[in-house]
Order: sequence, then structure tokens, then C-alpha cells
Amino acid sequence: MDRIARELRQPVRVSSSLDDRVMSAVRQVPPHARASLWSRLTTPRSVMVTPLTWGVLAASLALFAALGAAHAYQDVHRAAAPIAKALFPKADTPQRAQRVQFVLVAPDAKKVAVVGDFNGWDASHAAFQAKHRGGGVWSVTAPVPVGHHRYSFVVDDSVWVADPTAPRAVDNDFGMPNSALVVPNPE
Amino acid sequence: MEGSSDAVIVARVLRGDVEAYRTLVERYRDQYARYAVHMLGNREDAEEALQDAFTRAYRSLARCEDPERFSAWLFRILVNRCRTMGARRGRRARTFVVDESALTSAAVDHPADGNAWREEIDRALQRLRPEQREAFLLKYVEELGYDEMSRLTGVGVSALKMRVMRACDRLRELLSEVHSA
Repeated sequence: MDRIARELRQPVRVSSSLDDRVMSAVRQVPPHARASLWSRLTTPRSVMVTPLTWGVLAASLALFAALGAAHAYQDVHRAAAPIAKALFPKADTPQRAQRVQFVLVAPDAKKVAVVGDFNGWDASHAAFQAKHRGGGVWSVTAPVPVGHHRYSFVVDDSVWVADPTAPRAVDNDFGMPNSALVVPNPE
Repeated sequence: MEGSSDAVIVARVLRGDVEAYRTLVERYRDQYARYAVHMLGNREDAEEALQDAFTRAYRSLARCEDPERFSAWLFRILVNRCRTMGARRGRRARTFVVDESALTSAAVDHPADGNAWREEIDRALQRLRPEQREAFLLKYVEELGYDEMSRLTGVGVSALKMRVMRACDRLRELLSEVHSA
């Protein structure tokens, strides 16, 4: 039986014109790339990506998620405002402010300022310029409205430093370190 | 393109590069011609089955679940085409000759000559029942395992073993008749 099998395993060649006939036949078939949108969407395929592509993709997704969250927050805030106004008329009155002391130890700093959503992230705001108290300790006490805030220190007009004694804010404005601050209502 | 894997070529074809398919045709044409010629008994029908299999594979390429195993998928299509053509041939009740050129030379050779021996094998092969011939070729010529044969043909392993055994018995019987004659 092995002798028979060996004989039958000999190569068999067919006419090379078969290739042309096959290619002629397949050219009559609509090209795959022009297949229906549905079949293209539902057909699994392999995708090769470089590490750089992954990085760009991840950064894009993070940016997209952050923008989406910001928009969602604004939308919810806008939609909830009339309801809150109806339920809590007192909330419509101007918010009160509390004096808050900000402290940063920065021995090598020449200048320290506090920026946050309460001063328009303005590093030149006069009320939020810290003074050197000695020993590398910088501090400033300034009025901050009641509520939740994000803030940071700006050292020498260039380096953003989150407050090491405060919790880190979730939204870091795409790279700048921010801290979270809650100013309670004095009542 | 020559050294590219089947999966890479399949991906190119699916992106619309029709001509890339020629590489797959050249790659598997002769390899699978052997099975088709032995199964159908003549080159004309074998080439028709091959062309049909390649064309059907192209048309269904997007449904090839594992492009790395394109060759196995194509072979399954070819096996089915050979079955269909074999059944059609049976209805036409044609008499087949394996290879016209081999037959012509065999007619003047001594029976002990290699061509004559090959001719007797081919004749005996064509006298097997189609399902026995298919099982024998897959096992002894294409050298597939029974599990792979079962996946390919949709027939259970036990049934395939029985078909191979009967094919071997019948081939021995037919070829010993020739030698004793």
C-alpha cells in the first residue's frame, strides 16, 4: 500500500493557463472593497498598530472623555439650575465667601501665587500673591466663595504645583496638577 | 508578495487588490491539482474543479474565518467540488482515462515498466467507490490525520477508517488481479 501511495504522491502539474482562467473569472466578481457597507462592518479583520499609534489613540480617547465629561457637567448644571432655584430660593442669593489660607513650602522659589476657578486662573491676581514667611514657607490668606473649587500654586510664574496637603482634583485640565478645595457655608 | 503569508494576501484581496489573488492561485494550484486529478481521474475535470474552487473561494473570501489557514479552507471547497463533479460524472456514465499522455506511452510499454504500473494504479483507483477513493486519497496521499479528515469531510472518524480499510482491500484485490493475469 505504501508503494501505491508513494506513486500517487508524485507531483501533478496542470496547465499554467489555469491561473489566467481563474483570474479572469474572479475579475468578473465585484471587488471585495466595494462590498456592501454592512458586510464590511460585520466582517472581522486584523489590524496592526505600532506603539506610537496606541499612544495617540489613548491620548485621543482621554481628551475625548475629558471634553465629554466637561460638557456633560455643564449640561447637567444648566438643566438643574431652574429646579434648584425653585426648591432652594436662598441659593439664588450671592454666595458668601470664607477666608482661606493657602500654604506652600518652596525653599527655592522666588515668587508663589495661587490660581483657581475662584480667581479666573489668574496668576497675577493681587489678592492671591503669597508672601515668604521664612524657612521656605509661602502663604496667603484670601476670600474664596463657598463651594467646591479647584486650584493650584504657580511658582516663579512658570511651574504649576498642586497643594501637597490637599486632595488632588479629578479633572487636571489636561496636564496641569490641580487640588480640590471645599469652602463650607458658615451657617 | 511571494513570501507573504496567506493571511496578508487575503487581507490585500479583501481591501480590493484583486491581482493579489494570483499569488494564492500559483501557491496552491499544483498542490491541490494532485488530489483533483486522482479523485476525478482526468486533468480536464480536475482543472474545472480547481478553477471552480478558486473562484468560489474568492467570492466567499470575506467569510474565511481564519485566513492563516486559507489553504485548509480552500481544500475543503475543492473536496466538495470534486464530490459534486464526481456525482455529475457518474450520471453521465463516462469512461475516464487518467492522463492521456501516460496512457499513450503505457500502451507500448512492458507491464513491468513504471508507466504501466502507474496506469494500473490509476485504473484501480477509479474503480473504487467515490467515498472510498476520497478517504484513501486524504489518508495515504494527502497524509491527513483522521480528525482532520473528519473536519474536512463531515464524516465520522469510524466511518472514515472503515472506508480507508475497504479502499485498501479493494486496491490490493484489483492490483493482484492485474499481476496474476
